[in-house]
Amino acid sequence: MGLGDMLPGGGTSRTSGGLFGDGGPAFLTTKLDFVVNWGRRNSLWPMPFGTACCAIEMMASAASNFDIARFGMERMSFSPRQADVLICAGRVPYKLAPVLRRIWDQMPQPKWCISMGACASSGGVFDVYSMVQGIDTIVPVDVYIPGCPPRPEALIYGLMMVQEKIRQESFDQHYELRSEDPLTVARPRADEAEIVGLTGPFGNSTRQEKLSAAGVSAPEGPLGDAADITQP
Amino acid sequence: MSDDAKSGLDALDEGPRPSDPSETVDAPAANPDDHPSVAGLMARFGDAVVHHEEVSGGQHVVHVDPARNVEIITWLRDDPAHAYNHLADVTCVDFGGGAPLQVVYQLFSMEHKRSLRVKCLLPLDGLEIDSVVPLWNGANWLEREVYDLFGVTFRNHPDLRRILMPQDYAEGHPLRKDFPLRGRFSRAEQTRRALAQDVDRFYIPSERAAGREPQEVFFPDPDRPVPADAGDGQG
Repeated sequence: MGLGDMLPGGGTSRTSGGLFGDGGPAFLTTKLDFVVNWGRRNSLWPMPFGTACCAIEMMASAASNFDIARFGMERMSFSPRQADVLICAGRVPYKLAPVLRRIWDQMPQPKWCISMGACASSGGVFDVYSMVQGIDTIVPVDVYIPGCPPRPEALIYGLMMVQEKIRQESFDQHYELRSEDPLTVARPRADEAEIVGLTGPFGNSTRQEKLSAAGVSAPEGPLGDAADITQP
Repeated sequence: MSDDAKSGLDALDEGPRPSDPSETVDAPAANPDDHPSVAGLMARFGDAVVHHEEVSGGQHVVHVDPARNVEIITWLRDDPAHAYNHLADVTCVDFGGGAPLQVVYQLFSMEHKRSLRVKCLLPLDGLEIDSVVPLWNGANWLEREVYDLFGVTFRNHPDLRRILMPQDYAEGHPLRKDFPLRGRFSRAEQTRRALAQDVDRFYIPSERAAGREPQEVFFPDPDRPVPADAGDGQG
């Protein structure tokens, strides 16, 4: 008894409604990777984490002119439990950092993260005492969108890049990509040396006393004189 | 490196350049008769009114003795001839260079359509002043903000906690002129401390319940106990 006997019409549709037109086959074979990734990338629900002007552009992206529902972001999921992609739109002060981290920890796998705009990606112009210098020190980021703020087209392009990234995923990489260590919950994603490297002196601020990062020197910047500004 | 660039870096080392305190504190005294409340203040409190000046075209500023600020402001509020019944702002200014901090009360009289700015100069080693929360409840958060960002302690304040910075912020008071722009700790240390915040402990139950029971927050019923588990923070 073959597969054709178990399926109505022997696997083909005699009347109408075949996959590729009337009379065509009523089933197809594919790769599991492909069909899972197809499902994942076309039903991404964003978790909007909007803190500043980037959030206005994010709202515009969701509204009818740009309408990211066309790409499967059918609704903004205001609960992290039902979200797939975290869109961090805007600057994140240190006081908000644990909130961002907790929201990320609350999102179920599989999950992705977009850092929207200059402030979320690098601190932007806010190279000051109160501001996280790039949310990639707090949570892992998949796509960075430059701009201040980025246009809705840029956000849509970023979301399409996430879709492209999902398309290339494979179950082979599942453990590497999707496993989470409970011990890393509520911890910074980057270690000390990486944070110092990411946020190193850019020459537009006063002296930074490094109380805890003694011995960790910032990488040589293109200016070459960065060491003059930073105390050892 | 050229000398110009070097001097630029030196300027960075020194931090923000303080303005000359003498410019602001010893501005030429204005004529008290230009503003009826200033004349009244001087007649009633005499030496407690240290200085009077007019800035920005018509804004009258009086510097008063910080030890008597509540007494003076109460009189300004309650005397029907002045009736400054609206406290527009409480803020603070640091001119740097060791100059005293200026606590600023911006008053407005709805009745007489007049405004008056009252300043109290506090030396850096005595940053303490009486709270005006008993006069205006609205001063509560304003004074918390001044405490948070400048380190001025308000006596008799009902709830003197940080309001903008995290409750366990250990780097000082950020709007003081001697505070480095990027804070005192390294970025790595700041990130570590930020994520180690105990957000569930730092906010009182009524604040954590703010999203659920606005009636409770803004019109608290004293007979009803605050639920102990308001906001478990775990989603």
